[in-house]
Amino acid sequence: MDLAPVLRAEALKVLTLRSLCGALLALFAATTAFSALAGVSDTSDPEFDPLFTALSGVMPGQIAAIAFGAVVVSSEYQGNGIRLTLAAVPQRGRWFAAKLAVVAVPALGVGLVTALAALFAARAGLGAAAGGLTAGEQIRGVVGCGIYLMLMALFAAGLTALFRSGVATLSTLVPFILVVSFVIGDAAGTVADFLPDRAGQTVLHQTYEGALGPWTGLAVTALWTAAALLAGFWRLRSRDA
Amino acid sequence: MTSIDVHHLTKEYGTRRAVDDLTFTVRPGRVTGFLGPNGAGKSTTMRLVLGLDRPTSGTATVGGRAYTTLREPLRHVGALLDADAAHGSRTGRGHLRVLAASNRVAARRVDEVMEQTGIASVAHRRVKTYSLGMRQRLGIAAALLGDPQVVLLDEPSNGLDPEGIVWIRELLRGLADEGRTVLVSSHLMNETASFADHLVVLGRGRLLADTPMREFIDARVRPRVRIRTPDATALKAALARHGHDAVDHDDGYWTVHHARVDDIGRIVSGAGVPVLELAADEGTLEQAYLDLTATETEFTAQPQEA
Repeated sequence: MDLAPVLRAEALKVLTLRSLCGALLALFAATTAFSALAGVSDTSDPEFDPLFTALSGVMPGQIAAIAFGAVVVSSEYQGNGIRLTLAAVPQRGRWFAAKLAVVAVPALGVGLVTALAALFAARAGLGAAAGGLTAGEQIRGVVGCGIYLMLMALFAAGLTALFRSGVATLSTLVPFILVVSFVIGDAAGTVADFLPDRAGQTVLHQTYEGALGPWTGLAVTALWTAAALLAGFWRLRSRDA
Repeated sequence: MTSIDVHHLTKEYGTRRAVDDLTFTVRPGRVTGFLGPNGAGKSTTMRLVLGLDRPTSGTATVGGRAYTTLREPLRHVGALLDADAAHGSRTGRGHLRVLAASNRVAARRVDEVMEQTGIASVAHRRVKTYSLGMRQRLGIAAALLGDPQVVLLDEPSNGLDPEGIVWIRELLRGLADEGRTVLVSSHLMNETASFADHLVVLGRGRLLADTPMREFIDARVRPRVRIRTPDATALKAALARHGHDAVDHDDGYWTVHHARVDDIGRIVSGAGVPVLELAADEGTLEQAYLDLTATETEFTAQPQEA
């Protein structure tokens, strides 16, 4: 399968829409800013986790990653643009693969840079409070954070293909992440640990308890993402455009 | 050969048959007008040809191949379906560059088709600032991008100004003269009559006619002759001798039904009737079409469900 021309076209689509470049910029700016703020906050809490404090900007920042994934796909459904797209690339699997690549690669790249910047910004404020972090933990946090943001962007892309609407995706995912996960999240050690966002966020913590470790947690998020993508692809394949 | 072949094509949405056992061929080198009232199945047929919708049964092929098996389809088939297919936040040029990249069409074609469709001056403006006519031209530019042998345009003259309508007429004629296969849907009869050589007419998803345009009109509209004279009595007498009847009109002329201008001319000059004006009243596509759909309405007025 010759994916290169389709990839080039999909990459051009991202680059020629300012809102998409804006979403990636917002991901970086929001995450770094909130992490920097967290860095100068009170660190006397007994449950203080320096790694999670440093990367806590991801909590609001991930909304930008979700918006990016959703809009990359939903921009196709504006004004029946999908028809023109599928008339140009009628092999829907080939097109969907290229679409996912242009969600995943920028989200991962910007996610890694963002996580690194957030860590440095927060550590500048935390000072000695972050002294207990090992190099390994910090690398795990940054890499895990990049992967987490990529998975969330893909999760949103899959849901958008399923709903054929960015609005539906964002109005499902954003309240879910801000409210549901937050409210039932404190009931740790329950099903809540296996929610798509909570599971993956284990990797952002220095210490963790419960059923999931950093990588198994990301694997659970990856399963959620795979399910959303499969559902989205099933809808794309089976439906008239 | 790069014909569009539609073979026993049927498409059902739920229980509604949008396209009902259609079979026809669109051949190269001529403009085929695709006619029918709204909801007759024209756009659905086009989407089925492009592999966007899946047929319930039957096949649609382009040059003998299913559209979805084409590797770089824009190089073979160009289509305009919706004028609003381009994302409003992209520039016209950006929109075409994306399409060109996906089918490895040379980037210079983007500028060529924008020049050809008269939107080169707005190439760097965002599509949401375009008028409907400009969007329509952008859609046509996209259809022509890959220099395709087969062109399908759904209502291309929508939103075009009079100048644009003349332009599209010449464009379509030009494409057919270059040997391309051109299928153009429309519900505007006079417009279609100005460019089509051949007609495919649909009604309620079924094929009503697939004939050359001239034949379609001649078979359905009886010729008439229009005549103006200061001596109505002499005219009527001369016509009556040859079994013709003239109908009076308020604005001072007479119409002779079911008659050819050659015959009437001879009759009136032979009888020495003074003639101020004598003209053939050619049947129009509109009359022929209405005649066809009138019979079709009668036909379909009977209960559909058995």
